[in-house]
Amino acid sequence: MIRYLARRLLALVPVALGVVTLTFALIHLVPGDPVSAMLGDYAAPADVAQMRHALGLDRPIGQQYIGFLYGLAHGDLGQSISQHEPVARLISERFPATLELTAAGLLAALLIAFPLGLIAGANPGGAGDLGAMGFAILGISVPHLYLGPLLMIVFSLDLGWLPLTGRGGLAHLVLPAITLGTALAAIVARMLRQSLVQVVGADYMRTARSKGLSRRAALIRHGLRNALTPVITLIGLEAGALLTGSIITEMIFSWPGLGRLLITAINNRDYPLVEGCVLTFALSYVIVNLVTDFLYRAADPRIRLE
Amino acid sequence: METVAGGGRQAARRRACARAALAAWCAITCGACVKPAPATPSGYLQVDINTSPAALDPRIAADAISERVAELIYDSLVRIGRDGNFYGDLAASIERPSPVEIIFHLRHGVRFSDGRPLTARDVKYTYDSVLDPAIQSIKRAGLVELATLRAADDYTIVMTTRRPYAPALAMAMLGVVPANTPAPGAGAAIAPAGSGPFALADFRRDETVTLARNVFNAYPAGGVPGIVFKIVPNATVRALELAEGICDFTENDGVQPELIPYLAAKPDLTIVKSPGTTYQYLIFNFRDARLRDPRVRQAIAYAIDREAIVASLLRGNARVATGMLAPEDWAYDGAVTRYPYDPDRARALLEAAGYDARARPLRLVYKTTPEGSRLAQAIQAMLRRVGVAVDIHINEFATFYSDLRNGNFDLAASQWVGVGDPHQYYAIFDSRMTPAHGGNNRGDYANPRMDQLAEQGDATLDPAARRAIYGAVQQLAADDLPYVSLWWIDNVAAYNRRLAGFAPYPNGSLLSLATAAYHAPRGPRRSAQ
Repeated sequence: MIRYLARRLLALVPVALGVVTLTFALIHLVPGDPVSAMLGDYAAPADVAQMRHALGLDRPIGQQYIGFLYGLAHGDLGQSISQHEPVARLISERFPATLELTAAGLLAALLIAFPLGLIAGANPGGAGDLGAMGFAILGISVPHLYLGPLLMIVFSLDLGWLPLTGRGGLAHLVLPAITLGTALAAIVARMLRQSLVQVVGADYMRTARSKGLSRRAALIRHGLRNALTPVITLIGLEAGALLTGSIITEMIFSWPGLGRLLITAINNRDYPLVEGCVLTFALSYVIVNLVTDFLYRAADPRIRLE
Repeated sequence: METVAGGGRQAARRRACARAALAAWCAITCGACVKPAPATPSGYLQVDINTSPAALDPRIAADAISERVAELIYDSLVRIGRDGNFYGDLAASIERPSPVEIIFHLRHGVRFSDGRPLTARDVKYTYDSVLDPAIQSIKRAGLVELATLRAADDYTIVMTTRRPYAPALAMAMLGVVPANTPAPGAGAAIAPAGSGPFALADFRRDETVTLARNVFNAYPAGGVPGIVFKIVPNATVRALELAEGICDFTENDGVQPELIPYLAAKPDLTIVKSPGTTYQYLIFNFRDARLRDPRVRQAIAYAIDREAIVASLLRGNARVATGMLAPEDWAYDGAVTRYPYDPDRARALLEAAGYDARARPLRLVYKTTPEGSRLAQAIQAMLRRVGVAVDIHINEFATFYSDLRNGNFDLAASQWVGVGDPHQYYAIFDSRMTPAHGGNNRGDYANPRMDQLAEQGDATLDPAARRAIYGAVQQLAADDLPYVSLWWIDNVAAYNRRLAGFAPYPNGSLLSLATAAYHAPRGPRRSAQ
């Protein structure tokens, strides 16, 4: 397993290289210029030239790329052009907020998805199945931009149970987490249902029932565990998407995360900050997938990671 | 990767790993429990804004919201009044002994928020600092006509300009920081001490900016002890916070036109609409041969039903414009050629110009905003009706701005925010002031008569003569049509009825919040944070 882990961690290097190369190329290809953003409409051409020189933007693009890679290899993500702060510091200030929101979103998704999936999968075609899957379709269909304010109106303004916006205590997490996690919950619930329907008729389930286990006990103890593998695959893939998808939720709930930092950086054409944020998102995505592989093993002892 | 292994070897270790992962997950999620929520202090005014100030040091702060907040922290030699004229701020009196010299006599007894007295040395230091190329200040470009600035004594500043320069007082609007304040940048204070009514108490980028009273700056009894600017990017959430009494005040970009009726129906809220100076226009690119024909430009101006757009899409929150200067400006002249909606006339002009309706569609660039997309579509539909095909290119701001500066458009819709002195005509219409030369003549418009008038307007100090010159400039701009004037956007402020003393400025300044007060005790604020 250690060899496997080392190999996967080593694989992060080409992924990171690919991501920074693509991001570097894209951000330099799109129109827009950090110097215009900083010096404004009336800057003298000499000032513009001087600033371009100071930022190294007058060097050939290849040289800029090599310089960036050199910094990266030495653990230096560079200095934010618009915020005059080291990129690493800005990211380290904001990433925990995004991680916190994503983890809470995932938790909310699972807390919603598992009961729904179990109800639907236990009695396919029944009232519970119809209700749960109807809810799932609604969850996929409602956009964050609508669901977020709706939850705010009900739970913050009308009932006064939860705070409206911002990052603070645990209570601040509830509404953003539900907003972020609902779509994933719907997808996971549908997948779990499908998976359970397939295992319900399996031989080992009949054996478990014939040994005297109730239908519910057999479903939870034996059926659920066997139905989990595809669900974990799905969660692994979607958890990465949840991380990047948190940007909209951050905007709705005034959550000071990495997504908002990235949007500001893109608007300012703050090249080092954009590259740093995208790299962080990409590496997080890969790491989440790595964790998923380890969770397979916990769920299914037959699986070995090599 | 996946192979089937036998049995349950190492099951305990696997379970331990799973538990560890679960614990890590819970730790991340529950990390929130230990973080205190930034609450609005009692009695403070909460102002919701849609974006975080980029910088608060007045030497580099340039975006609109940074300037709005910075002017509550810093005093400058002069300030612009509601009528577009300059008035002394730190300057108790101003003399102009010669066409190139201005003397500012400073008020005595002014102190920074750290207690240090403000003297002419601080003013000089601030200007030297902005002019230092190492700081790379956006404000440096605005001081291009400044020849010298010296402190004659502790309370006298002498400014000289390179030539007789009428709008020289615009250069006296820099917020003053104490001498020897370190250059802005890594490790420096977000906002150095200022002598304005407030001082920065706390800054959380993308969360809140908290200002507390500058104890060395007297303020009216009952005035709010501080202001919390809360960054709320979502317009619906800003409206909800205002409607529910969580937020006290928001204005302009903070209030979307379609949400105004909802807010107006709330008994606890006051909505104040006042004439604004933000000017929305459609610029022509004279590099396109078709658009060099004045008949085509006139046809496009006649084809756009601005009254209808203002009434419907903007919900009446704007006035149809005759030119860049709004009626509130001292140099405004409304007796210029106008282009009321007249599609028949537009068609006739296009026919006379031989405009080929099957030619390449005109490229209309707009920036990405919810209303930007709707306005572009409205203009596209109106031009299609008269036989002008238009392709819309809506991009995020940096791309849009790059297209605008590089002339990568045929038509572009944009705005000038907080238009004040008519000197702006020189920067946007003088033929030498292209973006490559540090100007904003983005459409490559050239008319020697306009060059002469705009340069004359800058060099004429007599207000009456200057007003006459800018009257001619406004007429020429309306005839030549380098821009189709669309509308001036109203200032809209929405605030709690208990708040008294807010008086809007045409340029959207929030300065009057410094003297605003609650005329009834503020009840407990609903939890928002």
